[in-house]
Amino acid sequence: MSESLDALERRITGLRAEVRRAVKARENSLARSLRGDLRRAEKAWDEAISAEEPVPASHEPEPSLLPIREQVHQALALLGVPAAARLVVAVNDAFFSRALRGPQLTSLRRDEERSFRSDPYARPYYLCAALTDRLSPARGLLADSTWEPERRVLGPLSPRVDFLTSTMRVAEHLTRLPDPSPAALRLLSRMAQNIPGAVESFAPADPAIAIRAARAELEVHHAADTRQRAEVAARASSQLSDVERLFGAATMSTLRGAC
Amino acid sequence: MNGRLDELRGPVPSHPHDARAIAALAANPGCARRALLDAAGVDKDRTARHVGFPAPFGQSQFAITRGNVFEALVKENGCAELLRLLRELLGLPVSEVGYQDVENVGAHLRHSHTRALIDRAARESEETAVFYDHPLFSLEIAGHTSYLEPDVVAFQLGGRFHIVEIKSFGVIDGQAEPQKVAGAARQAAVYVLALRTLLAELGHDPERVSHDVVLVCPENFANRPTATLVDVRKQLAVLRRQLARMTRVDRLLEGIPEGLTFDLAPDRDGVPTRSAQELAEALCQVPARYAPDCLSTCDMCMFCRDEARGNGSTDLLGRQVRDELGGVSGMAEALGLAEGTLEPAEGQEEVARLLRTANLLREECLR
Amino acid sequence: MSALTALAQLRAIRDGIAQPITTVRHCHLAPHPMVFIPLRLAGEAAAPMGAMVGTDPGHPRLLVVPQPRNRDLRFAFTAELAEVVLPYIEGFGKTTETIEKKGGEPYERCLDAPQILVPNPQAVTFVGLLGRSTRFRRVDGPYPVHPSVPLLGRWLTYFADRSQHPGSSLLLTATEALGAHWATGQSGLEDANLAALLGWIDPPEGMTGPGAAEEAEDPLLWPPAGPATDPGFDNEVLGPAVRAYEEAPTERAVERVAQALRTQLEPTWRLMWRSVELLRALPEGARVKDRWDVDRGSFTRFLERVTEGGPPQARRDGAVGAAARLAGLERARASYDVQRAYDDPLVMAEYRLTGEAFAGTVTAADPEHTEGEGRSRKLRPLITVRTEDQVRLTPGATVGSPDRRGHAAEIVEVVDGEVTLKITKGMGRGRTPSPGSVPEPGERVTYTSLTDDFQSSAALPDPELTPWTHGGPPQEYVPSDEDAQEEWS
Repeated sequence: MSESLDALERRITGLRAEVRRAVKARENSLARSLRGDLRRAEKAWDEAISAEEPVPASHEPEPSLLPIREQVHQALALLGVPAAARLVVAVNDAFFSRALRGPQLTSLRRDEERSFRSDPYARPYYLCAALTDRLSPARGLLADSTWEPERRVLGPLSPRVDFLTSTMRVAEHLTRLPDPSPAALRLLSRMAQNIPGAVESFAPADPAIAIRAARAELEVHHAADTRQRAEVAARASSQLSDVERLFGAATMSTLRGAC
Repeated sequence: MNGRLDELRGPVPSHPHDARAIAALAANPGCARRALLDAAGVDKDRTARHVGFPAPFGQSQFAITRGNVFEALVKENGCAELLRLLRELLGLPVSEVGYQDVENVGAHLRHSHTRALIDRAARESEETAVFYDHPLFSLEIAGHTSYLEPDVVAFQLGGRFHIVEIKSFGVIDGQAEPQKVAGAARQAAVYVLALRTLLAELGHDPERVSHDVVLVCPENFANRPTATLVDVRKQLAVLRRQLARMTRVDRLLEGIPEGLTFDLAPDRDGVPTRSAQELAEALCQVPARYAPDCLSTCDMCMFCRDEARGNGSTDLLGRQVRDELGGVSGMAEALGLAEGTLEPAEGQEEVARLLRTANLLREECLR
Repeated sequence: MSALTALAQLRAIRDGIAQPITTVRHCHLAPHPMVFIPLRLAGEAAAPMGAMVGTDPGHPRLLVVPQPRNRDLRFAFTAELAEVVLPYIEGFGKTTETIEKKGGEPYERCLDAPQILVPNPQAVTFVGLLGRSTRFRRVDGPYPVHPSVPLLGRWLTYFADRSQHPGSSLLLTATEALGAHWATGQSGLEDANLAALLGWIDPPEGMTGPGAAEEAEDPLLWPPAGPATDPGFDNEVLGPAVRAYEEAPTERAVERVAQALRTQLEPTWRLMWRSVELLRALPEGARVKDRWDVDRGSFTRFLERVTEGGPPQARRDGAVGAAARLAGLERARASYDVQRAYDDPLVMAEYRLTGEAFAGTVTAADPEHTEGEGRSRKLRPLITVRTEDQVRLTPGATVGSPDRRGHAAEIVEVVDGEVTLKITKGMGRGRTPSPGSVPEPGERVTYTSLTDDFQSSAALPDPELTPWTHGGPPQEYVPSDEDAQEEWS
């Protein structure tokens, strides 16, 4: 058995060198086929060695019973404002199943849009886009279709306002938990560090102080943001179709809006 | 003149320069080969590979991932981390938080959208943002437009713009690797120049772009960002000088033979049809000034090093060695003078005496 | 760099092999040095990816971090490294000697000291950063580590700091040690590649220096000596192996990463020991032992500090500490340069070329010549030396000689290749010079204005007396919670 392992190792080493040589010479198709050979050899090596020594099953995190879209919805409901995938995952990790991963969210918005187009309003909610002041979908943000339009559009101040709001929501949720996870405390600390007066430099954040500080800054931006959002929302409702109101307009058609 | 440059490049689009490449233009300004290849927009990387001397540069996926992760962290939640840093560093008032993502428009509109937003900011009209994320600038390099993507442009009350450069190398106990800081400063200077050019075109005062750029790096061994102001006036001066020099390539063009071209003549699949030998000969028509520093800056370095070896030039060993040899440029010449097999030319007597003494001393000690 | 070295480089190119630029070895080489080759995760300042370490060329120890972004795995690596390095270091604390010092308390000094060899200066930087990132760690609190981790951190910091001290051999880099003894036909930048440098010095059978160096530049044949890895290797080999570990952190996945790293480390491991052999083959310079004595003293003091439970090194020096350190480094640099010239005629030749030294044959001697009258009458032997060198020393200049320790003279006259010297030191206390203390006619001698008796210390205040303009007296460094809890991404 070990003899074939040795032979495989030699073959793997040789293939690696060839792959790298091909990559260096930018012979892409050759590199691709060599890589395939390499992966097969590595797989064979893995199988050969595990035949010698059985491997214990790996410990995957407990899969959640909820579908991905419902886990995302759960996190968005907690935050109450449009959020980037990274924050959704962090909230899921801090408070919920801890099974959500960033890459699972990449095609979510597109899938939701497809579902809406084929059968509008069939679902109780859709995971949709937040709209920019040009009524185009904001890059990377997820929102809940049941939110009022003002919450799903953005003015220049909205990213900050939404950040302050979500920090407050995370802090409020923490106060309701008898025994919050370390991940939850870390999430709040990290967010609070970027709000003046919300946290002592290295101490873990206190939810009450964080809420007070976030609210104080929110006061400064609130009126202007509400005004700007109302204006964008009004434009969205007068200019966009149903599907565009949820998933944004293609950029060309919105040229008349801004600039 | 542009016609002649186009001929040198052949029927392919001019190779666009990114900020790193533009910053590197200022390295080794005395090299005519490089100046001409850059002015003509020739793809030096492809050229070097075709003649069989690929540049030894590459980037690890680990480094790329690390850079992307850190940049995302600094920019997440409407640049929340960056906002904290600017409040500390520039005393940004609490009310200033506006954020505009230029990339929210389609790729083809990013450049004009950037212009419009910067114009609005400069007029200090309503809804001026602090952060302009993913802006797209342009800069004219020897008649060709290059597009540049700085990380963030920050605009604050008081009417000044700052270029923000996000780098993932660590600042440890207040110290970062000097070469990396220097590299970041050179690159940021390109963005400062591009934004100043844009302001001037829009009829605003270009000096409203600060020569202090905001360099954001992770602090110590954590991911937490820290920011410093870096003065790039010197880098700007060097860059301007080099760009001005590139517009004077006509003087370089004078010396080169009629019909010379670096065209790779690619076939329909993009595979170059020109023989490597022929291309190498064309390259050799334009003199290079190889120095060991080229090994870290120029795609053509391995080709030029090989050529310098063939010529027996003392440049191979670096400036310092040549200085020690009294400026003698040929190896055979220096050795001949040292060993007394070559009579010194007029004015070379002193150098010859020094080299001969040095040679005698070596022989005496190694006997 | 000097004209002599430049010439040696030209010779190297012509002959196709590196040329010696010294006649003796100027660094100490321990009988059993520890070779340490660290690899770092690209894009990170101090995240270890793996290392090869050990004192036996035949038995390297391979340490691996299968997922370097995982802080627990990184600390586990450091603890494992400590298992290898700490016993080696601490073994030297067992046997000491008592040094009697004139006008001072006698003190203890370890009979020998550890020596660590790394491939290049970047590895030294990495050693320093790894030390910095671990020495403040605590064994309790939020991110507890094994007690050996902060201890190793302090030692790594010490070694990295000490390597900045010119002439110290406690932590050496192979590229610098080899480069100090051989000139190659390539630039300094290219010499930084250990495989290429060794290619010039010691090409394999049937190859020329430049041929071997060119082959050494191919990362597929000769992986870089670290800490940076080859980007092609990262993308094609290491990346997939690390991802496989992430997906299923099994023994097999660890073994796959280990295999990959072994291919990158083993060639360098062999080059390191080849470097040791090449350096060991050179005869040791006379003053190397003196400098190693200083190294032993420094090592002993730090060992005592650690044993007594002193705090870890501060993040930054105070104002006076920094100035004192700088002055100390300058003195060490000057002293090291002089000592090398005294130990090595080929190094001295550089000063002969600039006229700060000369060599020649004694043509006349007046060993009993005196100056002054009565009680102030002093023995001042005169000698005349005939030299071919261009002497740029003026009458009155004090000179020393590598031929006799404690010997000093003054230039009296320089005329047409004849130098007259008056001997002022090193001929004993008698009315006539002690035998052999004055060179005799026909003897070959060397004199130079370089001397090693520097002012013992610049006039710096004690740290407690730091003026307020420089921040006042520094507080004793007490590592804070902040130091200990500092996040490690």
